[in-house]
Amino acid sequence: MVEKNKVEEQHLSILQKRWLKFKTLKRGYYALVIITTLYGISFLLPILINNRALIVSYENELYFPIIKGYVSGQTFGQDVPGEAKYRELRKSFKEDNTGNWVLMPPYPYSPFEDITTDGNKMYESPSGKHWLGTDNTGRDVFARLCYAFNISISFALILTIINYFLGIFIGGSMGYFGGKFDLFFQRLIEIWASLPMLFVIIIISSIVKPSFFLLIGIYTLVNWIGMTYLIRAEFYREKAKDYVAAALSMGQSDVKVMFKHILPNSLVPIITYFPFSVVAGISALVGLDYLGFGLAPPTPSWGQMLDVGLQNVSKWWMVFSPVAAQFLTLLSIVFIGEGVREAFDPKVYSRLR
Amino acid sequence: MVPTFLGSTILVFTILQLAPGGPLEQTILQLQMGGLAGGGEGGGGSAAGIDGGSILPESALKELKRFYGFDKPIYQRYLIWLGIWPREIKHRDFEIPVGETLTEKRVGKRDGQIWRIDVKSLDGNNLSVFDKDGTPSPVWHASIDEIKDDGTREAVIFQQEYSGILTGNLGKSYTYLKPVTEVMKPRFKISLFFGLTGIFLSYLICIPLGIKKALNHGSVFDFGSSVAIFMAYSIPGWALGGVLLVLFGGGSFWDFFPLGGFHSPIEIWEEMTLLEKVVDQVHHMILPVIAWSIGSFATMTVLMKNSLLENLSQDYIRTAFAKGLNEKRVVWLHAMRNSVIPIASGIGHILGVVIAGSYFIERVFNIDGFGRLAYEAILSRDYPITLGFLVVVVLLRLIGNIISDLALATVDPRIRFK
Repeated sequence: MVEKNKVEEQHLSILQKRWLKFKTLKRGYYALVIITTLYGISFLLPILINNRALIVSYENELYFPIIKGYVSGQTFGQDVPGEAKYRELRKSFKEDNTGNWVLMPPYPYSPFEDITTDGNKMYESPSGKHWLGTDNTGRDVFARLCYAFNISISFALILTIINYFLGIFIGGSMGYFGGKFDLFFQRLIEIWASLPMLFVIIIISSIVKPSFFLLIGIYTLVNWIGMTYLIRAEFYREKAKDYVAAALSMGQSDVKVMFKHILPNSLVPIITYFPFSVVAGISALVGLDYLGFGLAPPTPSWGQMLDVGLQNVSKWWMVFSPVAAQFLTLLSIVFIGEGVREAFDPKVYSRLR
Repeated sequence: MVPTFLGSTILVFTILQLAPGGPLEQTILQLQMGGLAGGGEGGGGSAAGIDGGSILPESALKELKRFYGFDKPIYQRYLIWLGIWPREIKHRDFEIPVGETLTEKRVGKRDGQIWRIDVKSLDGNNLSVFDKDGTPSPVWHASIDEIKDDGTREAVIFQQEYSGILTGNLGKSYTYLKPVTEVMKPRFKISLFFGLTGIFLSYLICIPLGIKKALNHGSVFDFGSSVAIFMAYSIPGWALGGVLLVLFGGGSFWDFFPLGGFHSPIEIWEEMTLLEKVVDQVHHMILPVIAWSIGSFATMTVLMKNSLLENLSQDYIRTAFAKGLNEKRVVWLHAMRNSVIPIASGIGHILGVVIAGSYFIERVFNIDGFGRLAYEAILSRDYPITLGFLVVVVLLRLIGNIISDLALATVDPRIRFK
């Protein structure tokens, strides 16, 4: 329709055209740029937000605790048991003025250090030192927030991709082969779908303490249905079209017809659904963590932070920070989703007055 | 419907029963801890504790297993739970010495007299029970549990009864020690009250809003409300509830609303007049209901808007305009009728959402509702309640589907039941 004129001007593939269209939708495009940049940066968090020094220069020798890991305090002449305390080290080096120096990460607090580390207090309100205050065990809220961002998005992305693989294989086969195979899986899905899913996840995670990947596994168990049904319907419709018959009559194998011919033609709902699936994944993780059935502590997570926050309603920063982080992240992804939908599946409403 | 129900209950039943750390293990552990503490005080119980497990007498263990139903294979447990396999009740243990074939047992009273029955072992390992007049007893049954090394047999007599979910018996809660239905009833009412208020409010707001957005598609109002919808979609209702609590619950900012609960504490509640009760109830419900409704706000408004927009661009609308109808009639009669179809078909699903969505909100606002009951039951491994909750939810969903179909058929004359 609208795009037909463009085709004559520039010989672009449909995906390239859609990408160009997406770029013109500023809200979604900028949201994508911001989220991907932040997500990329979040992998560098260990050198940005950490309580281990990046470089320590002590008596003309360079140490890299960030790579090496544990370095005892005695190494730097610090009179403390166990690991060196780099923030104090920096202070004392500065005072001594002996040419020793410490290069700390820009935000020198780790998401795991609590009141057992010197100088940390419980329930500190936001300040220049702790940007978003500290929580009930003296951990820095901002540091935890940032680490949780990375974990949440990774969780949702991996979950969605696994779901897509399952959905495309099972749903695709159901739609393509039909018959008894289809019928069997339909009944199975019906039973599965009648269960209250959250309830099942809670039961399972109350029995086994889930790790990151186990939680993804559990969540996949209950979450593959939606995608499977979507793709099944798509394959079912495409299968009846002439190009499939043509491909089959030319002797193409089933696998090739499914993945080379039908799949690209049913990409639109698959791609437009993707951002919303990620949103659902993040919400689910936050919810589970809030109920205490998510990732094992002390993993930084928005849900766990909210849980603690809501037990201390008077400490507003402990509630607002995780909610705001989750809200902004989800809002950006929803914007992306809206943009993608607009680019892939534009709806033009003609209205007669 | 029936296979779906059976399938899902079998699934959860199996998961629960096979799970390690079930109620049996937990009780045993608790008793052992108690025993260990007692033994420590006595000064001689340390050796038994190291043994692990042997501290509980055999008979107590048997009693516990029987209480939790773990003395039967899993398929029998499921059938008993359903109510199509006899449940054994009123157990009485006794021993049959070597060589003895007839034991007399007193089993309580009947018609004001002591009720005695005879237990005979005719061919060694099979026991049969007779009344005093020599006829086989219709209510009492007996079986042998175990044969000891010296030949004495441990036997048990019991009554049988068919009672399970098919007969309306959901069992007895392990933690509340009351029938599950009795525990659930007040909780269910609270959740339903919330759910219905929430649904009513969201329909009241979303449908007119969606219509207005569709009619003014592309206007400033449409854009502005879209922003609100995006925001509502990006924040889970319970998280918003948390923010509202911090803002208005008197923590750090304003003190407008109570921090939680369904109504004021029961001592105050009972002193109130009717008017005060109503005010108190509304006062407690405003925040949770906002949090509750926000979940469906975004999806339902967008659904209404898109559905109406879609219909307004159809040919039959063009036709209606062409034959000279005025706009009001076209929009409200022709387009609307078709646009409410997707909304109507969603009505039944909400029934399930009433329950499922309330886990979080009930936890945030500290309301003793149905979702929280299930949540706590899972935590304390109270299987009868867990399974009872499942039964109710699955049933509600199935009923919801039927309601959806009925609503759809009412709104859409093209659909007919044959």
